[in-house]
Amino acid sequence: MKHTLQQVFRSGKFQLGFVIFTTIILTVIIYPMIITDPPLSIIGQGTFFPPGIYVSTYDAVNSPTTYTLNLRDAAAKRIANRLSKEDRLAMQEWLLADGVPASEIDINDTGKLLALWETKYDPKAKVEGMTFARQRYFQRVNASIQGIMSTEGFTLGVKNPESGVLEETGTINQSDFVNINQVPNVRFLVLGTDNFGRDVLTELISATRVSLMIGFIAGLIATLIGLTLGLLAGYIGGLVDDIIMFVTNLFTVIPSFVLLILISFSIGQEQRGAVTVAIVIGFTSWVWTARAVRAQVVSLRNRDHVNLSKLSGHSIVHIILTDILPYIASYVVMALILQISSGILAEASLSILGLGPKTTEVPTLGLMMNWAMIYQAHVQGSWWAYFPVLLTIALITFSMNLMNTGLDQVFNPALRD
Amino acid sequence: MKGYRKYFLNKLGWFLVTFVFAFILNFTLPRLMPGDPVAAIVSRLAQGMSNATGVQAIYQQYADLFGTNKPIIEQFFLYVRNVAQGNFGFSFSQYPRPVADVLASSIWWTVCLQFPAIIVGWLIGNTLGALAAYLRGGFDKVLMPISIFVSNLPQFGMAIILLVVFSITLKWFPVAGGYGFDLMPSFSWEFIWSVIKHYQLPFFSIVLIAIGGQAIGMRSMSIYELNADYVKYARFLGIKDRKIIGYVFRNVMLPQITGLALSLGTMIGGALVAEIVFSYPGLGYTLLNGISGQDYPLISASTMIVTVMVLVANFVIEILYGLIDPRIKAAQAD
Amino acid sequence: MGKVILEVRELTTKYITRFREDVYAVDHVSLKVEEGKSLGIAGESGCGKSTLALSLMGYYFPPLHYMSGDIIIDGKNISGMKPDDIRKSVLGTEIAYIPQAAMNALNPTQKVINFIEDVIRAHDNTASNKYIYEMARVSFEKLGLPADVLQKYPVELSGGMKQRTVIAISAILSPKVLIADEPSSALDVTSQKMVIKMLRNLMEDGIIKSMIFITHELPLLYNVTDDIMVMYAGQIVEKGSAKETVFDPLHPYAKGLMGSIIVPEEGLRNVKLTAIPGVPPNLKKPPSGCRFAERCKFVMPQCRAISVGIREVENGREYRCIIPEDQLREAYKNA
Repeated sequence: MKHTLQQVFRSGKFQLGFVIFTTIILTVIIYPMIITDPPLSIIGQGTFFPPGIYVSTYDAVNSPTTYTLNLRDAAAKRIANRLSKEDRLAMQEWLLADGVPASEIDINDTGKLLALWETKYDPKAKVEGMTFARQRYFQRVNASIQGIMSTEGFTLGVKNPESGVLEETGTINQSDFVNINQVPNVRFLVLGTDNFGRDVLTELISATRVSLMIGFIAGLIATLIGLTLGLLAGYIGGLVDDIIMFVTNLFTVIPSFVLLILISFSIGQEQRGAVTVAIVIGFTSWVWTARAVRAQVVSLRNRDHVNLSKLSGHSIVHIILTDILPYIASYVVMALILQISSGILAEASLSILGLGPKTTEVPTLGLMMNWAMIYQAHVQGSWWAYFPVLLTIALITFSMNLMNTGLDQVFNPALRD
Repeated sequence: MKGYRKYFLNKLGWFLVTFVFAFILNFTLPRLMPGDPVAAIVSRLAQGMSNATGVQAIYQQYADLFGTNKPIIEQFFLYVRNVAQGNFGFSFSQYPRPVADVLASSIWWTVCLQFPAIIVGWLIGNTLGALAAYLRGGFDKVLMPISIFVSNLPQFGMAIILLVVFSITLKWFPVAGGYGFDLMPSFSWEFIWSVIKHYQLPFFSIVLIAIGGQAIGMRSMSIYELNADYVKYARFLGIKDRKIIGYVFRNVMLPQITGLALSLGTMIGGALVAEIVFSYPGLGYTLLNGISGQDYPLISASTMIVTVMVLVANFVIEILYGLIDPRIKAAQAD
Repeated sequence: MGKVILEVRELTTKYITRFREDVYAVDHVSLKVEEGKSLGIAGESGCGKSTLALSLMGYYFPPLHYMSGDIIIDGKNISGMKPDDIRKSVLGTEIAYIPQAAMNALNPTQKVINFIEDVIRAHDNTASNKYIYEMARVSFEKLGLPADVLQKYPVELSGGMKQRTVIAISAILSPKVLIADEPSSALDVTSQKMVIKMLRNLMEDGIIKSMIFITHELPLLYNVTDDIMVMYAGQIVEKGSAKETVFDPLHPYAKGLMGSIIVPEEGLRNVKLTAIPGVPPNLKKPPSGCRFAERCKFVMPQCRAISVGIREVENGREYRCIIPEDQLREAYKNA
């Protein structure tokens, strides 16, 4: 046993799969200890805030100390950031109309573009073939550019509650800085927010936990049913075998997801908790395990040690437990791993169809996918709402499959490379 | 030929038994739903309808159609009769369209998308898997990790990735639908071209997933088979390696064919979900509409159609297999 | 002394594992088989006897690799030949092989006759189907196999029938040397007898000129073969006539091997059944001294220090031990 385990851990594929899987499990356990927010609490007003560090503007303005940093490229950065794509294109259009060769205009180089604009643009100049309305438009563009270029600071004012008069309380200069450590409200949204304004990372980790649980429950149920039926069919044989195999063959051909859809729909939205979904998945996916276990048991049934045990008068239960199970244990473990990962996938597919667990209690990976799809996150380019979810699903199934391949290589030496 | 006839009849018998069983399940499972489905449906349908006699008329129509006030056995035979006539009732969510009408327009999209994709994926996957097993080395080392990763991606995941990369970012393909939104189905070149453009991405997403899974299976089977005793024996009798490889791949292809038959259900299930990602107007999308609209006749009929599709495909594969595998005839003869 | 059909000189082959380790499974093995004679090779599983069988074919594919030594069949040294020449002009015609698990030795999706066609065409691609069928029918019937076996798929044949079919196919090109690797171990007693009878017929009818028979069942060897060779950890530890090796083993391992088997032979019935304790050494790092030292009852300090060579004694017997033969016999008597 110890030797086998050593061999298993020597397999590179198993190691990789094990490391990925353990990392996921540890993250799922440790993260909620540190970040204790409820995973489904809505913090953002609006949909799909991009990932990043969110700093309270109010607290930043009211920061006890302001620092003056004279950074050489601060102004350039600020202008580059504020000069919109639309303005840049407008500038390009005017400059082209003015006769500047296209090769000299680079709308991505803010400094050069502005310099060119400063030298060439003349609000009074009449460009050949340009309507008056268009000229007015460029004058407005120019005004907004001048605003962006302004070096004035902002004046802070507070409305006097009694008189309603705005009273100046201070100014913010362009070279004013605050230390982010002195701003009391900073939130790092590593993966932004979702369509409901919930923190995607916290939600994702909670969803991973629930999905893993669904996978485990579904996998355990499927494996238990499959193992029991396979053992009975394979060991007892005869009529029992015929009946079990008849049912198994039926459910092999009738697609399990059709059953999954029908049953989930029949249960109804209100009754569908995560555990219920897991149980339904488990009850519709035992077929492969049953077939495979039966095949193994049939080949074991007439081995010498089993016959010896029969002759010694051991009971069926005893024979199955001591003479059959140990020989198929490795196989059953591998089947269980596969069942778990396909259970996670089944939940995801069901949820995308809108038949996943009830949405108000817990998130699952499938539900997150479903929400992202309904709110068109993929079309809007809000990758953080769906890509991490996909990646998590893929990593879970990938790691489990790698472990399985590793086990397979140890138990089926022909596959070694 | 006698052996094959026996095999054929055996498979046909099985097909019919599974069909009847699937039919019964399809009838029973939704009826386990608590409450009166017709009342729930009618109340939803009648929202905004002030005419009480109208509501009553609709209720009566559905109650007659489904026979909900009759004993369950009678309901079943009513259902059998209706289905046999192609009458699946009216769609609740797209009232007054009959379900048969809704399905008739979506079924061909699914059939024409999924079957070619699964067959192409199966062929490419098996070829690559066999090559990996035979060549080993670098080819194997590159192909296998990719295949394992791809086959672990859920079908809809592959669909989303392809969609985001090729449609939304690169804009090579349209984002959604089976044809341009501005077109009406017709036999014009413009329409056919639009259909082809919309076809490619869903097609490749199914093909890629199928390749991954098949390549892995084929590779391990081939490696097993290349180490088989008969390979060693044939070599020691002086038979050329090329000829022996021929034996091996023929022998490995045979179980892969039955493997395809057995995994068809899962593959089609995954592909239906992928259709949803592309808003492809097939059965997957219809099913989604049915579920979100609580449209019970539509769901029941869709699952029935999908089951029949899988069963028929399965049957066809088994029949072909009987023709290809020489052992079938031999084994059935005695 | 008859004409030597097969002579092997100092043959060494190795396995290369997937961890790039070398395993010398056949280590400087020399043997001779004369015309009309048969040689039995005995040993525990993993002692290298099956590898020796594969190595004798002269046709190597990974993970087995040729290192050194000569294989001379009927005066022709095949060790230096190109693999494709060996395939064409040696395998099947000069030397043929009967695999250990004949159950799976035939391609399951091919009729027996089609496989025979492939075998014969591999050496003579002008042969017509009709000619091949006639040839196969004649040789099958000569060996007591019904001709309709030819038209069957392997699944249609019983275990014993499959084994006999495999033997008939191996012998179809009248090879000079036939190597049978445990041809009867998976069969029931009746089938075993038929297989042995068939092998004897092959020799008696002159279809094959000599035979090497590999098994872990010693009594079988005593009944079937003229000479016996005992292998341990890739090396020959004892060689001699069947009778002497079974009744008067010299090497302690051979002695132990006889002791661990129930032999219903006169004179051996009273021998106590004793298993040899311990396991064979790891051939990735074989011990520098005697390879059997760890398990030997008569081990002495020098056994572990010096590599022991083969010792020749009377009647052409050989054994690999530093203890002289009379002292060994004395020790066995007292044990």
